[in-house]
Amino acid sequence: MCVCSLCVSAPRAAAGVGGGNDFQWCFSQVKGAIDEDVAEADIISTVEFNYSGELLATGDKGGRVVIFQREQESKNRPLSRGEYNVYSTFQSHEPEFDYLKSLEIEEKINKIRWLPQQNAAHFLLSTNDKTIKLWKISERDKRAEGYNLKDEDGRLRDPFRISTLRVPVLMPMDLMVEASPRRIFANAHTYHINSISVNSDHETYLSADDLRINLWHLEITDRSFNIVDIKPANMEELTEVITAAECHPHQCNVFVYSSSKGTIRLCDMRAAALCDRHSKFFEEPEDPSSRSFFSEIISSISDVKFSHSGRYMMTRDYLSVKVWDLNMENRPVETYQVHEYLRSKLCSLYENDCIFDKFECCWNGSDSAIMTGSYNNFFRMFDRNTRRDITLEASRENSKPRATLKPRKVCTGGKRKKDEISVDSLDFNKKILHTAWHPKENVIAVAATNNLYIFQDKMN
Amino acid sequence: MVARGLKRKLHDSEDSRGSFWETQLQSVLDISLDKYQRDQALVEPSLLRSVLINNTLRQVQSEVRTSLTEPTSAWKPQPPPRPQPEFLSQREIEDFSLSSAISAILKNLDAALDGGYNPPPSTLLPPPPQRTPLASVENLPGDGKFKQNLGFTHMMESCRTSSVGTSAVVSGIFQESTIDDLLMDLDTSVFGREMSSFAPHTFSFPADELMRYLPSLSTSSPAPSSSSGSREIHELEQIMDILIRS
Repeated sequence: MCVCSLCVSAPRAAAGVGGGNDFQWCFSQVKGAIDEDVAEADIISTVEFNYSGELLATGDKGGRVVIFQREQESKNRPLSRGEYNVYSTFQSHEPEFDYLKSLEIEEKINKIRWLPQQNAAHFLLSTNDKTIKLWKISERDKRAEGYNLKDEDGRLRDPFRISTLRVPVLMPMDLMVEASPRRIFANAHTYHINSISVNSDHETYLSADDLRINLWHLEITDRSFNIVDIKPANMEELTEVITAAECHPHQCNVFVYSSSKGTIRLCDMRAAALCDRHSKFFEEPEDPSSRSFFSEIISSISDVKFSHSGRYMMTRDYLSVKVWDLNMENRPVETYQVHEYLRSKLCSLYENDCIFDKFECCWNGSDSAIMTGSYNNFFRMFDRNTRRDITLEASRENSKPRATLKPRKVCTGGKRKKDEISVDSLDFNKKILHTAWHPKENVIAVAATNNLYIFQDKMN
Repeated sequence: MVARGLKRKLHDSEDSRGSFWETQLQSVLDISLDKYQRDQALVEPSLLRSVLINNTLRQVQSEVRTSLTEPTSAWKPQPPPRPQPEFLSQREIEDFSLSSAISAILKNLDAALDGGYNPPPSTLLPPPPQRTPLASVENLPGDGKFKQNLGFTHMMESCRTSSVGTSAVVSGIFQESTIDDLLMDLDTSVFGREMSSFAPHTFSFPADELMRYLPSLSTSSPAPSSSSGSREIHELEQIMDILIRS
């Protein structure tokens, strides 16, 4: 229970989101430079908790991966509710040059996916546009001392000078976290990789680009199975591309992929080696009254995520989040409007390219709530049970330790109330594209350009 | 944040709805053409973006065609655009704003042809040849076979191994056997074809078309007569075809 004066004296904010209780989100930490001038390389491009939530990984445009580890809650610091501190930093991808096509390959990390932990080391997959890498992150806190053939400095000892044999002894040392690339999965994608997803069999994973999806075995780097190929014989006939793909959390033969036309296809790998023909096709019929020139662009799905239960999946398009029941293909079971006030601004958003922004979405651990980002550093949470929603802001102004976040509201027309912000005042350069929810607790990580915000529920 | 050229109006009368639609059509067309041209200048435009912009242009084309067959109809939902161009019967254009949209299209195309490109940012090599986003360079003759190949091996695309424990393989470091394999798989006759299909020929076809039609348009009066009106429809058709094809 938080006992700092800040929380006690503050009036109880509007009801939070999550489960049956009202949660109140408090600021916990912010990582990253405060500088107004943001270096392009520092822009965070992906955020992901591992399976236990102990580790939080971020990737940035500069090709770096930073992993944070949660502190064990100790008796010494009862108020510290498990802060995340830097655990390891490494350069995952470097900029490359494709000599055959005369193209530069960006080092930006598009996605990070953790593997389930099987031993003391942690493994994750990170990918840029073309190459996927398997990284092993391991700790070393002991060092062997007392070698026979070399000195403590590492210099080789003259073998003739050695008169006795000794057994090297393991001595403790300062903790060192090492990241090493264990596999490089390269040259399987002609187009830009947008998704990777680890299969529930923990042996295979899929990678998807604009036109193809490949299935890999984690141990085999020199070949992969192509399981989906939507490239037409004549590229001029191309009207639809793959935007995201994910493996089912429990059924290792099932995966889904979404398209730029707002459709989702579920495929069963048992049916055929090539899954060009889907098993299920999810599409919501278009509402003729809301049709505009931008209907197709805003229907393009930017993210698809299965629920932890495996029964539902969630898709994010430009203006909304939709929850689909895998057993019902003709329409979603729930639709949540993220920022409907932007519908009348679509022409401007098309002009300034914001309409192409790819927002992600995520489930909480119990699948009772979903979260996604918006502009002006706002992010939205929806409680599926109570149907309540809340808009929160990730900003330095709300960054006092354990300060409760105040709900934000966008004024859509008419008189603007106090504390509301009008649509025209929104900062469209401050976009929250990447968010992540701890798999077990109410802890969330929100990436705002080059800063990573961590918020925790006060009740925890 | 109001869109350029877009007025906030109540859509309660057919006339105002029509002009709102036209203004938006004009805006969407202008913006789409601008983006299309900018993407042309990029070395590797995003495929998703190119497809969405192309589809929007196709939709505009379809809307314009539909409105030309029913010039006085109010805004109504249109069916998805068909890829094949239809043959239009000759009709008089009565709506002045529509013909101004057409001349704007031509103006934009004209500017694109005359203005030329900004060369793509080169890093190490001299500027690579221009590539249209969905150009025929992708239709390499060997590509089709990979679809039927049950996908067990990528012959062209990867035979690179990296063993456990060795340092990361950086692109450009090849083993000799893999280079030989790759070279054997390359069909060099393809490159000859590719080179000839690149710019400066990218816009040569539309340039001819444009030159042919521009003089006739400059003589047309603001209130077009039936003959120049039908020609305008035909020219618009041609322009949109060129746009869609390239």
